[in-house]
Amino acid sequence: MSTIADKTVRPQLALSHDVMQAFYRLLAVALICVVLALLSDVFLTMNNILNVLRQTALLFLMASGLTLVILTAGLDLSIGANVALSACLSASVIKLTGSPLLGVLTGIGCGFLIGLANGVLVTALRIPSFIATYGMMWMLTGVTYYYMAGETIHGFPASFRHLGSGYLFGVPMPVYVMVLFLLIGGLFAQRTIWGQQIYAIGANPVAARLSGVPVERRLVLVYAMSGAMAGLASLIILARINSAQGDIGEDLTLPAVAAVLVGGTSLFGGSGTVAGTLIGALILTLVLNGMNLLQINSSWQPLVTGVIVLLAVWIDTRTRRIGE
Amino acid sequence: MKYLTLGAVAALATLVSGAASAGDETIAVFTKNLTNPYFQAVRVGTETAAKKLGVKVIQYIPTKPDSIPEQLSQVEDVIVKKPNAIIFIPVDYKAMVPAVEKINAAGIPVTNITDRAAGGKFVAYVGANDYSIGLETARVLMKAIGGKGNVIILEGVKGSLTNTDRVRGFNDAIKENPGVKLLASQPANYQRLNALQVMENLMQSFPKIDGVLAANDPMAVGAIEALEGANRKAAVVGINGSKEAVELIKSGKLLASGDFNGFIQGCIGTEIAVRNLRHEATPKEVILKPVVIDKTNFGPYQTPVEQRTCPTLQSLSAS
Amino acid sequence: MSAQAASPTLPLLSRVPGVAIVLVVLCAIFGALSPGFTTPANIANILTQSTILLLLALPMTVIIMTEGLDLSIGAVLTFSSIVLAVTVLATGSVTLAFLAALAVGLCFGLANAALVALLDIPPFITTLGTLGIAQGLSLLVTDGQSVVGIPRSIEHIYSGTVVGIPLPIVIAAIAYLATHALLYHTRFGTYVFALGGNREALRVAGISVRGMLIRVYAFGGVMAGFAALLMTARLNSAHPTAGIGMEFDAIAAVAVGGTSFERGNGWLLGTLLGVIALGVLRDGLNLLAVPSSTQVACIGALVIVALFIDGLRSER
Repeated sequence: MSTIADKTVRPQLALSHDVMQAFYRLLAVALICVVLALLSDVFLTMNNILNVLRQTALLFLMASGLTLVILTAGLDLSIGANVALSACLSASVIKLTGSPLLGVLTGIGCGFLIGLANGVLVTALRIPSFIATYGMMWMLTGVTYYYMAGETIHGFPASFRHLGSGYLFGVPMPVYVMVLFLLIGGLFAQRTIWGQQIYAIGANPVAARLSGVPVERRLVLVYAMSGAMAGLASLIILARINSAQGDIGEDLTLPAVAAVLVGGTSLFGGSGTVAGTLIGALILTLVLNGMNLLQINSSWQPLVTGVIVLLAVWIDTRTRRIGE
Repeated sequence: MKYLTLGAVAALATLVSGAASAGDETIAVFTKNLTNPYFQAVRVGTETAAKKLGVKVIQYIPTKPDSIPEQLSQVEDVIVKKPNAIIFIPVDYKAMVPAVEKINAAGIPVTNITDRAAGGKFVAYVGANDYSIGLETARVLMKAIGGKGNVIILEGVKGSLTNTDRVRGFNDAIKENPGVKLLASQPANYQRLNALQVMENLMQSFPKIDGVLAANDPMAVGAIEALEGANRKAAVVGINGSKEAVELIKSGKLLASGDFNGFIQGCIGTEIAVRNLRHEATPKEVILKPVVIDKTNFGPYQTPVEQRTCPTLQSLSAS
Repeated sequence: MSAQAASPTLPLLSRVPGVAIVLVVLCAIFGALSPGFTTPANIANILTQSTILLLLALPMTVIIMTEGLDLSIGAVLTFSSIVLAVTVLATGSVTLAFLAALAVGLCFGLANAALVALLDIPPFITTLGTLGIAQGLSLLVTDGQSVVGIPRSIEHIYSGTVVGIPLPIVIAAIAYLATHALLYHTRFGTYVFALGGNREALRVAGISVRGMLIRVYAFGGVMAGFAALLMTARLNSAHPTAGIGMEFDAIAAVAVGGTSFERGNGWLLGTLLGVIALGVLRDGLNLLAVPSSTQVACIGALVIVALFIDGLRSER
């Protein structure tokens, strides 16, 4: 959804802008933590902090691949449905073969293929990403519902469940996965040619193409990665709740998008970071955690989330102005 | 405690049965969504009964789960097709009243199951008494914790009739036991992951939790997962009598589950609808007895729904 | 209408928009397979069921043409409907309730407009935020319960007829004609086309882009208020989940209808056809008793096929 606007890529300023963004966001995180620590005496306990990190990890994994898509000024609305299908297929495979490894491969593989299909719809069939992934979402959901036929698959081997609910040196496993993909994602985006090309496509697709970037191939790549990350997230959910049902992940899509936006990535493409998405996910999770701890009526949650998204982006827009 | 209200009508029904005019009677069945195993059990019940009685059932489920406008549209579409009868679970027991009135206006006989609609004319209502199930299930937990300790309630979807009644039952059981303290009552939307996260958060605030009253099985399972993850123990009860719950009861992780039996409701609902079509007598209301499944009686519940046979009105009135 | 380049390989097909092809094919298939499909009662059903979505899709077309988006429109519909019900229960006045619903819609529309036009927050994010706010308010006011007991007179808006035509269809037709006139026969409409494809030209011409955007989003809010009237009448109650997901349906209908996200090419008739196509699909599949999971997949397929056909036609 980008305008062919007169956006010139100014690497120097972009870097300092990203630093500014990260600074404001970390400030926000610190502020929220201070407020919650004052309001609730259980907030700063080890258990709660680990809880928050684990819940953030899940949201971040969903949102990390999505960040790359949004960097190209695209959108992937199918990640929730992707999670459902990948989880259900992995669950079946684990049950049939007894092998967690095969299940993991199935989950990530299924997610990847779905992402690939999205990429093809967007590049070869030239369907706008909003609509292509929206249509894909419906089709995936239909397939999942048909496959599951209203049943649940439950009870997985302990070795698999360790991925979601286990601990390593006292830290929940999903946190390790989160850190791993934070590093991979960050390095990919900032330090590889492919990453730079993705930024270029988002900032100015015409110029990118003219300078030799294989735009279609890179776009297919980002959608495939978004899908694969959704597949990974589905495995973590599967491991956590120890069962698969047709409607898993249904309400994870918009929060993932929110995490990316709160993290400072621009919908117009070309600016934002994977680390920013992590901070965005952290902010959203902290607020929900706080509301739970303070036993605030859950009806407030959509409202508060909405306000935070608006605030975060507004602050961004102001700092962007200052930067220019 | 018998909640079955059939009376003399049932006796008459058994005399008159067998005089059916078979054929291609079609019954349209409306359920809330594609994903909750409870409604799948209902659908399986209707199909099992249909096969036995020689009728055809067609399932109508909103593509957007629990969507009020969509169920309304499906009702309008189905009226055009004029099925012989309708079995109806309203997506929302208040908001779907206009839909029922449309069905009444079209002259199609309709039987209401599970969620009692707040208006409209029905051939009969088949359901369970959610309040009693909540009460009985909670009583099992109260007994298990010796009548004292700290408990938590995990609620289902706000505004849902089953939820309101079950939670009321829970609360009344708590009131019967003055030594029991209710720490918190939080909604988790009948969903597993929700319940897990809510439970995790609650465990932070409350170091000592002795019992968890979950308004349905998926939430109970979520709570169990959260407890295990934190190496804590508590007595947990759910409602649904789902396959998963039965397995957990067998392994001792779940204390009990209230039998909110979708399969039976589907069976009986279909039987009543068919009887009504064949001009046989039907009861106005069938309320299933509240049964709590625990370690002592879980055996028969291990059969998957697809393989069970439908109980008949006759057998229910006899028990 | 949008300028379409003729594809050399499909000369005839290239003149017919994807949505029209899809609509004709669907009607043919359903008409052949399902005797009840072509009855007047069923056709009336399809059209009546589509009216609420049309009321949302019309302003959405205009908004998308300005390269914007309104994700909040479904939630605003829901909240307006709740305000309507609560007001009529509290004051007994149906007129006051209607006005309240429209006012709520207008407020949210202006809020969206302010955030987009004045604070420069991208529409996707703005309306995502206001979606949450409207949804949150709906839940808080009702605590998840339906609001019932409203006077029967409101129901007549949905069930009444005017010379045999259902009232909702008449209302939707008026809304369509009004939007059509606005878009194609006023200067404002020309500016809207320009906002999408050529924002600079507007600025150069001295037209206030901000003022335009404010009007466009306010229009969306008010239409959501009107849609709330129909929804409340249809349900004879208000429920906090009534409008969930309708914004995406509206966006899909607009896109299926041929309006482009990127170039400001808007086609209002296309939106109408898109809305009807979705309605035809749902109704036809229900009549054929197609299993619900297949229906879900078909909706996705329809959206993709329609845009695929459009993609085949136009050239980059």
